[in-house]
Amino acid sequence: MSSESLEVMPRELTGTAECRRMRRQGLVPAVLYGHGEECVNLVAKREAVEAVVRHGSVFVELHGAVTSGAVIRELQWDTFGTRPLHIDFVRASKSERVHVKVPLDMKGESPGHRNGGVVTLVVHELELECTPDAIPDHLHAVINDLDVGGSIKVSDLQLPEGARVLADADEVLVTCVRPGEKGSAEEEESASEPEVIGRKPAEDGEGAE
Amino acid sequence: MPLMPKRVKHRKSQRGRIRGEATRGNTVVFGDFGLQAEQPGWISAQTIEAGRIAAQQYIRNEGRLYIRIFPHRSVTSIPLETRMGKGKGEPDYWAAVVKPGTILYEISGVSEDAARICLRRLAHKMPVRVRMVKRRGL
Repeated sequence: MSSESLEVMPRELTGTAECRRMRRQGLVPAVLYGHGEECVNLVAKREAVEAVVRHGSVFVELHGAVTSGAVIRELQWDTFGTRPLHIDFVRASKSERVHVKVPLDMKGESPGHRNGGVVTLVVHELELECTPDAIPDHLHAVINDLDVGGSIKVSDLQLPEGARVLADADEVLVTCVRPGEKGSAEEEESASEPEVIGRKPAEDGEGAE
Repeated sequence: MPLMPKRVKHRKSQRGRIRGEATRGNTVVFGDFGLQAEQPGWISAQTIEAGRIAAQQYIRNEGRLYIRIFPHRSVTSIPLETRMGKGKGEPDYWAAVVKPGTILYEISGVSEDAARICLRRLAHKMPVRVRMVKRRGL
């Protein structure tokens, strides 16, 4: 994953109302912390932030108010997921190993799918420990050998050089099951009306006014 | 069989008002694509089931459909040609209270084109304006 550069400006105003005002002006409030140094309030242009997000960069080189490498720890979105509201940056150098969440996807064509199975991605992202240069865009679970009843685990993944997954090696990532096998939780005979907590069944007939 | 709670504390509830936007349940979590409400509203258990059937008939056994809403609220009604008064009506159906931004359904294991068609079929059943959303990386 290539690192993006992002211009940031200092932010002196804090608080909900001020942040709202900034957002109306096309800015995104941000904060930079980590390495035991002082926490810095920043602001960035929304277009620039959206470009960073669009390119899928987790590691960014900040310049302007501060000059530092940083990992995006958290990105807050509005209700509809269309506008970024706030970014948390954590200071990180290129030689330092960082923890990041990387999306997982499936690659290839499963023979189980051709045989009538449903291939399900159980885990959508995995936490990796690696250097910022080695952060991959995606992790791929290769499903070319996945037949009905099979699964792909963390230990089956091919990781980039120097990266380590912070998850159990036996954790299942992808499964292939025949439809109906999994969702066989029989529909219980449900009553026409739910049970009312605290009311005795005998009361229902007579006591319900 | 439409969805409904197994146990409730009270059989009837007041109507209330739907204010604000969804702050929870507004991101795609289980699938790859989702159907997000753009308007507030009540979605009845029957409508949720109708949407499920419309989607399931399209995706068949290809992918998986997730229903993200549940009808927790009972809606009462009084019989036709009843005189005024005599108290609140009896529970008629169950409904999910939906705020703008709530993800109603999710779908996984299908291509984007198939998901779009499937969710469009599903959207026709919904009493609120909806849009398709994708899973977000960051």
